[in-house]
Amino acid sequence: MKRNLSIAIAAIFVLSTWSCSKNTPVDSDGLLITTRRECSVSSFELLGTDFVSVRVGAAVIDTVAQTVKCTVQFGTDLRNLYPQFSLAQDCKLDPKITGLTDFSDLAHPRQWTVISGDRQIKKTYTVTLTVQPR
Amino acid sequence: MRNIVIAIAGLALFAASCKKSDYALPTPSTKLQNQAIKRTLGPNIVGQVIEFAYAGAILKGKLTSFQADANIAGAAGTYMEYRSFYTASTGADVGVPVGNPSVTKATNTTVTFSVDTNAATLRYYYVIPEEARGKTVTITFTAKSNDGESISTVMGPYTIAKMDMKLNMKLTDGNAMYISIGDTAVYNATDAAAHAGSVDLVYLYRNLTTSAFNHALVSPAADPVYLPGVTLPTGVNRSTKELKAFNLQDHNLAPTEQYGGIFIDDIDFQTIDLSNSPNYAINLKADAGVWCQTADGKYKAYIFFNSVGAGTATVSMKRYKLN
Repeated sequence: MKRNLSIAIAAIFVLSTWSCSKNTPVDSDGLLITTRRECSVSSFELLGTDFVSVRVGAAVIDTVAQTVKCTVQFGTDLRNLYPQFSLAQDCKLDPKITGLTDFSDLAHPRQWTVISGDRQIKKTYTVTLTVQPR
Repeated sequence: MRNIVIAIAGLALFAASCKKSDYALPTPSTKLQNQAIKRTLGPNIVGQVIEFAYAGAILKGKLTSFQADANIAGAAGTYMEYRSFYTASTGADVGVPVGNPSVTKATNTTVTFSVDTNAATLRYYYVIPEEARGKTVTITFTAKSNDGESISTVMGPYTIAKMDMKLNMKLTDGNAMYISIGDTAVYNATDAAAHAGSVDLVYLYRNLTTSAFNHALVSPAADPVYLPGVTLPTGVNRSTKELKAFNLQDHNLAPTEQYGGIFIDDIDFQTIDLSNSPNYAINLKADAGVWCQTADGKYKAYIFFNSVGAGTATVSMKRYKLN
């Protein structure tokens, strides 16, 4: 009886230890680090303060040159825009987009770095805006 | 053996907890009873009505009067219904007169019953006076019966908003196109020149093929590129901060909107930051809105586009005076 009890306790201890071990690493943001090596932007959106798109046509994304070119409507408030990126699976963006973003310095386009799922590949994309003429 | 005893004790406890106590019919109070509810929702704005339903009942005897006492006298139009309503099978509210039309003296509104009734629900409409702006209002309802008994219920305190509003301002490009937030008025060019110091926005409509300009609210001091074809009246030159919104259908400004369950209140004006906003807003449409702050820092406002036509728009405004 005593022997069975000891075996049971030992089994529970081993099982619980094993289930708590980390086989799935996460990064500093708590995101899963996977084996995926894709590293690209698949689509780009730009919203105004009214959460309505300010784009004129689709953004042109060049994954080789690592550029996003987007024409925005005449009269767009370039200091207060919400950019939205769609990335390849498991990628993340740096710096993070936390709110309204200032694009008003058209001579110095904003840049974001896409980081692959395995966190080994980094590609910096330059987002260039053009304002539609009146 | 010990385990068996514990098991039996547990079973006994379980059985005892399931025992149904005998139900006794509640005994109604023979005293005068009353209850009140507030029927209106949203911020309490000066000039608007707060509606209550006040009910009173007594088992033996009859009601003699209902009264409402406000800590701040209601504005003209404050009254208590002298009819008690029930809902007919059609869904319509049907009023049955139970007393004389209410009499309002200063803070007190009274209905004296004229029929023999021991239960009634009357509605009370408190029109919020200017005096109450930014303060709190408390209403004390009192019912009295023929045996001299009385009972009261206190409702509130309700905070009265500092903001005010103006509904359905008609804008017309080329005519009534100059908006003063401070005056809550729309001027034509002649009147705008006379009130040049208080014109905050210019309404215009341009149907351009090269860009989406459409309806616009532009500060007089904005880049002229946003005021195509507009010659400003002399002295009209203020710069108003503007932040675009869409589908922010405030229920006070747009009461018929399908999704208009949102209320803009004082706190929204207190917290919104327009310091980094431009001084123009173009490409506006129906259901669009613009948060504004006047150049002199006296007012913040939210202007909502109720409807638009070709070169016309109907807008409604909530305005908050800053300290």
